[in-house]
Order: sequence, then structure tokens, then C-alpha cells
Amino acid sequence: MSDYTEKILCAKTHEYLLDNNDKTYTVGLTDYAVEQLGDIVFLELPAAGVEFRKGENFAAVESVKAASEIYMPISGRVVEVNDAVVDSPEILNEDNYEKGWLVKVESTSDDTTLAAEMADLMEYEDYKEEVG
Amino acid sequence: MTRQTILHDKHVALGAKMVDFAGWHMPVQYSSIIEEHKAVRDGAGLFDVSHMGEIFVDGAGAKDFLNTLVPQDVAKLTDGKAVYCQLTNERGGILDDLIIYKLEENNYLIICNASRYESDFAWMVAAAAGFDVKLENRSDEFALLAVQGPAAVQIIEKLGVSTDQQSFSIKPATIDGVPVWASRTGYTGEDGWELMVENKYAPELWDKILTLGAKPIGLGARDTLRLEAALHLYGNDLDEYTTPVEAGLSWSVAKDKAADYNGKTVIMNQLANGTDKKLIGIKMLSKQIARHDYEVFFNGEKVGKVTSGGVSPMTGSNIALCYVKNLKEICPGTVVQVMIREKLHDAQVVKRPFIEKRSGGK
Repeated sequence: MSDYTEKILCAKTHEYLLDNNDKTYTVGLTDYAVEQLGDIVFLELPAAGVEFRKGENFAAVESVKAASEIYMPISGRVVEVNDAVVDSPEILNEDNYEKGWLVKVESTSDDTTLAAEMADLMEYEDYKEEVG
Repeated sequence: MTRQTILHDKHVALGAKMVDFAGWHMPVQYSSIIEEHKAVRDGAGLFDVSHMGEIFVDGAGAKDFLNTLVPQDVAKLTDGKAVYCQLTNERGGILDDLIIYKLEENNYLIICNASRYESDFAWMVAAAAGFDVKLENRSDEFALLAVQGPAAVQIIEKLGVSTDQQSFSIKPATIDGVPVWASRTGYTGEDGWELMVENKYAPELWDKILTLGAKPIGLGARDTLRLEAALHLYGNDLDEYTTPVEAGLSWSVAKDKAADYNGKTVIMNQLANGTDKKLIGIKMLSKQIARHDYEVFFNGEKVGKVTSGGVSPMTGSNIALCYVKNLKEICPGTVVQVMIREKLHDAQVVKRPFIEKRSGGK
């Protein structure tokens, strides 16, 4: 997991973005978000091919306690959806990276815009400090 | 200023996730809400409900005074018996839901919701003029520990308290020389006891019950347990603008009570002629969860709102309590829709409670 925390960027709204170095990025929920939610019982993810702007609500997660919306950390097109986590949302409580990622996206921005969108995200350590 | 129960440090030491609830810093979960829920249904759970209020009503006028406050007939209570009540206003709206215990002749205990007991007390004091009663709000002096689940009976026995006790009754007992009030009541749909002790004795009793095998249970599972048992939550399912009849609590209203009480005209009229809205239970037919305030539709028309909704770990369905227009077509088996994230999702009206009642005693 420390492997991941060194590589990901995090949004204030508790999503992480991982650069797969193949022009795709993996989007998931931070460990802090998962812990706050508690037992996760439902996930609603978009279909592959759908485009979202940065900050747009693209998915929903429900725990026993509450429903939360999930926002896109960069503007992009969904290229892969983690169907396994939709079928068994409790996976997220055990592993929010390897098995519990949500979608993979391709950026739909030019390099300058993408760089600006990424600059708005935080390193994991800074994020942890921010959410306390 | 957030308040703490006498057991606050115990919760923190057990690693509970703490939240603010009704002005109190309370444990929402110790491990996982679903695990805690199942622990209560399969074995025994221990809840700190010390945030709830304890009001004592003493005096020769106590019975007649209490009878002006609630639609239930307090005069019918025998010593040691308890009755589930609603504190109603002039319109029949519910100011709080309570349990009134008759400790002995002219001596009653009222257990109130944490968020309401201060206003309840003020309401009662204002209403007491002309009655020979003494009212005492002793909520700060007592802790309340609930032991709930099919294995609660063994734990109570191991505490040295006889379990030959009727459901909805209370008795004085001693545990290791400490005086307690032991009441066979709860808020989970399971058999169980609520033990009221002076604050100073509570931490030791808490530890002892845990060593006897009960699992600590937070407010998260308390909510899923009571929802599965279709027990109302004040502030969600009950409020000043809802009467006991609308809330599906007609069973608890005395039909032949001679004494007048706040809201009697409205309540008796509703019992005879029906209401505009009614409480129903629904089971989602999809995986979505209906939550508080979501809109309910029937035949394309908005007919009401969800007041409590969530998961039901024992049935595997997602369930909810809703208030809807009192149409006779909306009855168990009917399919309605709930608006969830701007889409309508089917749900079926089902009988309440959502699981079979398993309360013990007689």
C-alpha cells in the first residue's frame, strides 16, 4: 500500500488518481474515505466510454451509514470499469487500490490543461494532513 | 459544548469511532455496523444509552397528571409495569416517545430521548400546575446500559439478577451490592434488559457485562437494529406534526380511556375516520438504498417521503419506513418507487416489522 501512497494524487473530495504510465489513470477512493464510510454496501459506476469533466459527479457509493457522491479528479473518458467491485462492494473495505479501484480513464485534455488539473490535486501526505 | 456519558473513556479505549449525536459525543461503531448488528441478533450486545433522559414523577397526583400527557392509559399500569407512550401536543402531534414505568404507587419513571428530555421536562413542569406531583429531571445522575439479544438472558442471570421477569416490566435488583433498576425493554426487536445505575457504578458494570460475553454496540447498529424491527426514531419517523395514528401506533393508543389528554379530540377523530397520511414499510427491489427524505411515488404521482431507510443485514434487502398519502391501494404487496439520485427505483410495500419479533418474557 505504501507503494501506492507514494504514487497517487488525492482530491479534497477523497478520490485518488494513479498514473498507469500508459496514458490511462486509475481512479479510486482514498483509504481515509473508505474508513469514514465504514461498511460499504453499494457502488454505482458509469459505463465505459462516458466522458466526465474534472469535478463532475461520476459515481456513487453507499455505506450502511451514508450515501456519497464520487467526483472525477481529471477530465477524462472512462476506458475500464471495475465490475468486480460493483458486484462485491465490500472489497473496498479491505483493499481500495489493487482490487478496490473504481474506473480507469484517459485524459480528454491537452497537456497544459491536464497539468493544471493535476496541480490541483495533493500528494498523499499533504492530503492526509489536510483531512487530519 | 458536546456532552459525554460516564462511559466515554471506555468507548475511546475500545477504539470506537466517535460522533456527535443529539449534543453527545457517542460511539457510532466499535468494529463494523454489520458485524455489531449480527452480534446482537445472534448473541448479545451491550449499548451505552446513558444519554437518554430519566424523569421521576412522584406524588398522589402522579397518575392523573401523567394521564393528561399521553394517549395511553397510565391508570392501567400495575406496580413494576411499563408502557410505551407518546407525549402529545394539543394537535395530537408527538413531542417525544417515552416509556413510562410505574415503580410503585404514586412513583413513576419516564425514559425520554436524549434530544428531547430537556424540552419534555419543561413541558411537564408547565403542565403540572394544580397537580399534587413532584417532578425531577435526574438524567445527569444515571447511566443506562442496554443488554440486548438472545443471549442477554444468560448474561443477566450471571449478573445475579433473576430473569423471571415479564417483558415491559421493571424491578429493583442488586449487582455486586450495587442497586440497579432492571427493565426488560429495549430498542432492537430482541429480548433484552436495560439497567439503570448511578453514574459512579456504571464503568465497572460495563466492564463486567463485556467479560460475560456481550459485544459493545454503537449507535450505527442501534439504528439498523431498530429499523429492522420497525421501531420509530424520534426526529425521523415521529415529530410534532405527526400523530400516533398516522405513525401506525394506534395499537398503543387507549381506545376506552376516560381521562382527557392533549390531542385526544384529534386522535379519537382519526381513529374513527382515518388519516391523510400513513406510515408504511418498504423493501427495495433493486440494490439502491432509500434514505431519509427521499421522495416516494405511486402511479407516477409523488405520494410521500422516506423517513428512515437503510440496510437490513438479516433479510439482505434494503428497507425503509415512509409516510405516504393514505390510499387504500398502497398496501403490502404494492409496488411503489423511490427517487434515488434522480432516478425512480421500485420498492415493494411490506408488513412491519421487517423481521419477526423475538422479544422474550411474557
